[in-house]
Amino acid sequence: MKNFDMALPNSVEEAAELLPKKIGDDSARLMAGGQDLLAEMKEYLVQPDLVVNLKSIPDLDRVVWGSDGSLELGALTTLATLENDERMAAQFPALVQAAASVASAQIRSSATVGGNLNQRPRCWYFRSEDYVCLKKGGTECFSYYGNNRYNAILGGGPSYIVHPSDLAPALVALSAEVQLVSPRGERTMSLEEFFVLPSEGDVLRETRIAADEIMTRIRIPAPAPGQRSVYVKFKERDSYDFALAAVALVLQTDGTKLESCRLVLGAVAPVPWRCTRTERKLAGRPLGEELAALAAQDALADAEPLSDNEYKIPLTRGLITEAFEALGAL
Amino acid sequence: MLDPTIRWKDRPDLSLLNTEHPRVDAADKVTGRARFSHDMRLPGMVYARLVMIPASRATIEKLDLSQALATPGVVLAEPAEEDKTEVRYLGDDAVVAIICGVSPEAAQDGVRAVQIEWTPADNMLISEEQISEADAPKINRRGNLRESGEKGDVDDTNKALAAADVRVSATYSVPVQHHLCLETHGCVVDYNGGDEATVYASTQAVSGNPGSFARHLGLKSSQVRVVCQNMGGGFGAKFGIGLEGALACRAARQLERPVHLMLDRKAEFLMSGNRSGSRQAMSAGANKDGRIVALDVEAHKFGGTSGGALPTPPYMYLVEEAHAKIFTVHQALDGNRAMRAPGHPQASFAMESMVDELAYGIGMDPLEFRIKNLSDATHHRQLRRAAKEIGWDLHPNRTQPGNKPLQSNQRPEGSPAAPPGDHWREGIGFGVAHWGGGGHGGAKCEVRIDPDGSVTSSCAVQDLGTGSRTYVGTIVAEELGLGLNAVKARIGDSALPPGVASGGSVTTGSVAPAVQHAALLAREALEKVLEPVLGAMPGDYTFAAGRVFVTDAPAKSLSWQEACALLGRDPLVVLGDRKGELSEGGAHGSQAVRVAVNTRTGQIKVLDMVGIQSQGLVLNRLAVKSQINGGMVGALSYALFEQRVIDADFGNSLTANMEDYKIAGTKDIPRMRPLIDDEDKRPTVSGMAECTGVPGAGAIANAVFNACGARVRHLPLTPDRVLEALKDS
Repeated sequence: MKNFDMALPNSVEEAAELLPKKIGDDSARLMAGGQDLLAEMKEYLVQPDLVVNLKSIPDLDRVVWGSDGSLELGALTTLATLENDERMAAQFPALVQAAASVASAQIRSSATVGGNLNQRPRCWYFRSEDYVCLKKGGTECFSYYGNNRYNAILGGGPSYIVHPSDLAPALVALSAEVQLVSPRGERTMSLEEFFVLPSEGDVLRETRIAADEIMTRIRIPAPAPGQRSVYVKFKERDSYDFALAAVALVLQTDGTKLESCRLVLGAVAPVPWRCTRTERKLAGRPLGEELAALAAQDALADAEPLSDNEYKIPLTRGLITEAFEALGAL
Repeated sequence: MLDPTIRWKDRPDLSLLNTEHPRVDAADKVTGRARFSHDMRLPGMVYARLVMIPASRATIEKLDLSQALATPGVVLAEPAEEDKTEVRYLGDDAVVAIICGVSPEAAQDGVRAVQIEWTPADNMLISEEQISEADAPKINRRGNLRESGEKGDVDDTNKALAAADVRVSATYSVPVQHHLCLETHGCVVDYNGGDEATVYASTQAVSGNPGSFARHLGLKSSQVRVVCQNMGGGFGAKFGIGLEGALACRAARQLERPVHLMLDRKAEFLMSGNRSGSRQAMSAGANKDGRIVALDVEAHKFGGTSGGALPTPPYMYLVEEAHAKIFTVHQALDGNRAMRAPGHPQASFAMESMVDELAYGIGMDPLEFRIKNLSDATHHRQLRRAAKEIGWDLHPNRTQPGNKPLQSNQRPEGSPAAPPGDHWREGIGFGVAHWGGGGHGGAKCEVRIDPDGSVTSSCAVQDLGTGSRTYVGTIVAEELGLGLNAVKARIGDSALPPGVASGGSVTTGSVAPAVQHAALLAREALEKVLEPVLGAMPGDYTFAAGRVFVTDAPAKSLSWQEACALLGRDPLVVLGDRKGELSEGGAHGSQAVRVAVNTRTGQIKVLDMVGIQSQGLVLNRLAVKSQINGGMVGALSYALFEQRVIDADFGNSLTANMEDYKIAGTKDIPRMRPLIDDEDKRPTVSGMAECTGVPGAGAIANAVFNACGARVRHLPLTPDRVLEALKDS
């Protein structure tokens, strides 16, 4: 990798001042756990002159439970912290399952919530320096005509990456909000809104975060009474792999029928893919196999597979069924 | 009396050999003390990196190394060859320059400063469509697609096919697999000018390589010493010195400084060889009585610029009429090299799958069908043992695939089981293998006994991680009645008596007999020294537990130290030769596998693998079990995950890293039961490693079919293929 300077700011504001003002300007980059950034630097995908290390800022890894049962995670909370927290496991199983499914224990001990949500895609064309693809300022998404077995079946175009985060679908399903801080102040948005499709905005990025903005906190509202949640991830191999497809499901029932749910798919679209229409169709229906079958059918009804990834449709349907089964809603 | 026959001790008399003991270098390896070529750090040493064009075919318009040379710390920037204007394939031919720097980082910065103008070719010559285009350039003189062998009579085979009770036609394919040595290819050339050099090479042929390095250093073979004390895997890909070895020598000669050139991971994927892929279209027929009566095969081998490897069918099984035609497909890609049983896993996957299809086709138990069509009684007993271990006798679906989850009483107690749920299916599959491995001549071993009682056993042979260092010592210790670590083994150095190249599982069969011969000679020579003191003739002594006894009068004895002190001032040195009667080829292996298949997602979980292996006398039971485990892990990885993916339009690999090129990890490994077939009583030793990696992939695919009816005919058995096959089942 290219040599770089490292800044150790004392505050978020100080850190934000060090960041470039424009998306695409990689002269300075934020580092949290470093698990994605350092790999990007080693592969020469980014070559910052300055790395702004957030680890020197106090309290960014703080976990705070609200008196109402809500949870606020500092962006630098490690995945290992989530994985090992019994209260989180009881209140927000989907979050803890998603965290535990990431990579390896070694990586989870360094990787952070903020880093996981802001990581870059894994598409092999994007990750290879040999290809200047659309997301790197080129003119073509090579996966469209190329080898696209891991790419998007929903929401693709003009780029067909899938968002690689495991936490993102779980947190979107749990209605999480994120806090962003920049020299202009702070703002809060829903995590769902935070992610952006390539067709909706700047194809160079996956989120609405500004170049000089820093994600500081993630807030999850208290679980509704009777809320259950699950994250089901399918990895091609069990050891250390990104998802081929994943399902985050949060639901409430009255014991016989589904009152409401949030169904979010991972690794099938450029963003965590919320199935809003399906959620509406399911609400009020009796629990059982028909409910899960409808969910599986409807959630993938709009899928447009590329040449090599049609399998993701039945695979994801299978995972949706497993998610409903895991929550006792079959 | 001295026994003139050269032989191993009888099994009941062995105290070290045929026992389970950790390798003598195990602690060094797990603690990091063991030094690999990669670890060599020499005064004045520079680090080399190679510059590669990321395409299979290209024209080099301009190569400007001036900025690389101006990079701080860079001491050499040279074109890989003079006037290189064309890249003909993605492999070592894509290397255009070598950069040396005082640190790895400086060399890498130098690589990035190289300015290359190059034009990709219109046709990258990767896909079969591309290589078949009318105006496609020829990858080698013999053309891009050529017939490379035919065996058997096509008319007789067709007649036999037509007359068969059941016929199956199917095409099986396997992808290109990488060796993925943990230690990449390369060497450290210690040359400072003058007329001698030492090369620390990661090589499978220590004794065979001084000449190659010498040629590139402008020295004589006798002036170059090759050292390989430890290596991080070779698997068949590290026989020659490669372009990297030649360039390291050239740079060292030019700089008169030591050069460290170990490939980076990407180059390792692109230019260090691979297991060739294959596509085998088969038509086979069986009769209801369980005989395979006909097999017609048209096979294509995909070995890049090399020829590919595939034994001529029929593989392993008896077939009454067989015809096979084999084609070689050349692509503008790195050529295949030997890889752990070259060609055999490819042939085994297709044949074991077809044998299975025929068995189910006639409604016969695939275990019984195999036994009926295998000629060798060793396989019969091994298959029955493996079947018993895996629980075939309790398995409910022995002649048709399963359609519901198993009950707990349908598998052996303690057996791993599929996860709960109605959508999980569980199945069992089988496969067999056979290998030569008897070894050949050429190896020698020196045993030296010093008057203070220390013993050294020396042979240049390398240890690929398989345990040769251990037995170079333990064989001598066994004969002299000493303990496990009492004999110092010196290996991996071309200055020592010659070893052999480690390929074809011949190392043990070639080297161990030479060590045993040296041990016998040393014992005999020492007995001659004992004769005037203890009074018995050579041949009438027993060496055990660190003492020497007169066999018929055990009261007459000396400690090992006392006996050696009789040597006076000079050590006793003998040189053993390989004696053919101490080894014999013919390793047999049979494997059984239990898998679970998720019919919703296509996920396969391998639950249990049993491998039983025979090879004659075992030198170290733990090392043999490790080999069986290693073979099964490799086969599992080949079956489920591994595949090289090339973008044909760009002529570039998409899987030249350890994220996208997936291999099995710890969580993918099932219960593994390596079993040694002790019914093989032969008094000879043999290599056996390659046998163990052959049957697993076919056995896994067969277990998947047995579980749920999904016949996946293409490796790897990825979920998309399982889901697709489930639709057809």
